[in-house]
Amino acid sequence: MASKVISATIRRTLTNPHGAFSRCRHLSTAAAATAVNYEDESILMKGVRISGRPLYLDMQATTPIDPRVFDAMNDSTIHEYGNPHSRTHMYGWEAENAVEVARIQVAKLIEASPKEIIFMSGATEANNTAVKGVMHFYRDTKKHVITTQTEHKCVLDSCRHLQQEGFEVTYLPVKTDGLVDLEMLKEAIRPDTGLVSIMAVNNEIGVVQPMEEIGRICKEHNVPFHTDAAQAIGKIPVDVKKWNVALMSMSAHKIYGPKGVGALYVRRRPRIRLEPLMNGGGQERGLRSGTGATQQIVGFGAACELAMKEMEYDEKWIKGLQERLLNGIREKLDGVVVNGSMDSRYVGNLNLSFAYVEGESLLMGLKEVAVSSGSACTSASLEPSYVLRALGVDEDMAHTSIRFGIGRFTTKEEIDKAVELTVKQVEKLREMSPLYEMVKEGIDIKNIQWSQH
Amino acid sequence: MVSRSEVLSLCRALLRAGRQYPDYNIREYTKRRTLDGFRMNKNLTDPSKVNEAFAEAKAQLVVAERVLKVYLAYPPKTKNIMEVKLQ
Repeated sequence: MASKVISATIRRTLTNPHGAFSRCRHLSTAAAATAVNYEDESILMKGVRISGRPLYLDMQATTPIDPRVFDAMNDSTIHEYGNPHSRTHMYGWEAENAVEVARIQVAKLIEASPKEIIFMSGATEANNTAVKGVMHFYRDTKKHVITTQTEHKCVLDSCRHLQQEGFEVTYLPVKTDGLVDLEMLKEAIRPDTGLVSIMAVNNEIGVVQPMEEIGRICKEHNVPFHTDAAQAIGKIPVDVKKWNVALMSMSAHKIYGPKGVGALYVRRRPRIRLEPLMNGGGQERGLRSGTGATQQIVGFGAACELAMKEMEYDEKWIKGLQERLLNGIREKLDGVVVNGSMDSRYVGNLNLSFAYVEGESLLMGLKEVAVSSGSACTSASLEPSYVLRALGVDEDMAHTSIRFGIGRFTTKEEIDKAVELTVKQVEKLREMSPLYEMVKEGIDIKNIQWSQH
Repeated sequence: MVSRSEVLSLCRALLRAGRQYPDYNIREYTKRRTLDGFRMNKNLTDPSKVNEAFAEAKAQLVVAERVLKVYLAYPPKTKNIMEVKLQ
């Protein structure tokens, strides 16, 4: 018996385990030229070798679950597993209680009433329901939708879907700092405008739109105002009455909650009506049928309550880190441009463009920092991001843009390391770049007559 | 009204729990948040407020220790780059 165990262990250690992680102590000759010798195991994934788990600076994509939120979800996952819509037994009552508590927690964060919160599967579903639902309900009288060019893809795609159905959509351009031009908004509103949809905090460039002014304009012209506040709640103070919003989309996994849950705020006074996207048993005021994901909802509520308590503390910390990051990079490099307005911005988002550097090679060199890029060059197409294009950023600058997302759990050492890695990579690329040499000599790149060979 | 030694031992217990987390970011966050939290409430004099803050911190200690057990049961398979030492 013991010999079997020993032989099995020997067999296991001799054969190389297949899979995503291949732990090797020796570097291949190709990698040795560009990598540093690490005393510990390194990770090989998708053909890239990195020494350890990268440091996470992509908080706009998603955030880690806060341990306190994780704790709040466990009761609901483990024993309070009833369907909140079961009215006949204690399991249902318990679960319904938990969902109602979460509803109150979410409502308090945005200064709304709990009856106005509809839980959904995320901000994408909430955006779809808001845009399509409102326009379908009022399709006889209202034919026009106003949105901006920098909206999230789900809003833009819903508007495109509406266009195919016969509605008219105006995509408002933005100024070079990312903010909406209020005069253009006023001019665009028509008597048959059914919805204005403008996101509160942009996920790519981080600018905060002038919500109160937009709300006031919409109120004057009596047009419902929808906003995608997935990146805004829990980070900047949100007040649905001050902003005068009729509909607001929220997402849990951007505020240290679980993935797979979000909510839509639907105003009750004055009432906004919409056609539901999910038909069924009439749950959630008839606007979203289906059993709610109870443990996710409980986690969402806990995350909102936590965000309310920690908002000020987090903002102070993140602001310090953002300044440290920006100043650290600006000290050592020139030709660094911040995309989007520096004044009206959420502190945790920093989108930088590095001049005279090629985007793909910059990203390939930054494998030890988990960041996102402005262009879609990590995907099949090489098109720069539509948000940066709407800002009027040049193609070459749009390709080299990097979005740093700072959050509650980011540390000073991580920021210093990110600065060090970015500066090193950019300097290395610029050294190799003949364009940069020409710029240093004083030649203006844009006015060169390139000759054909 | 809680005594100074009780407050200090609670702070030490929270820091001790935070130190054991396998995840680098959570470790650093618990240390910073505990110290900042106790420092912010350092100058409270109203006994009811002091007791309230103490009870809140005690609840956080219960949560931290309970969640720690789960987090230790599922350690990450790879080391964070901040913990890897360069030669």
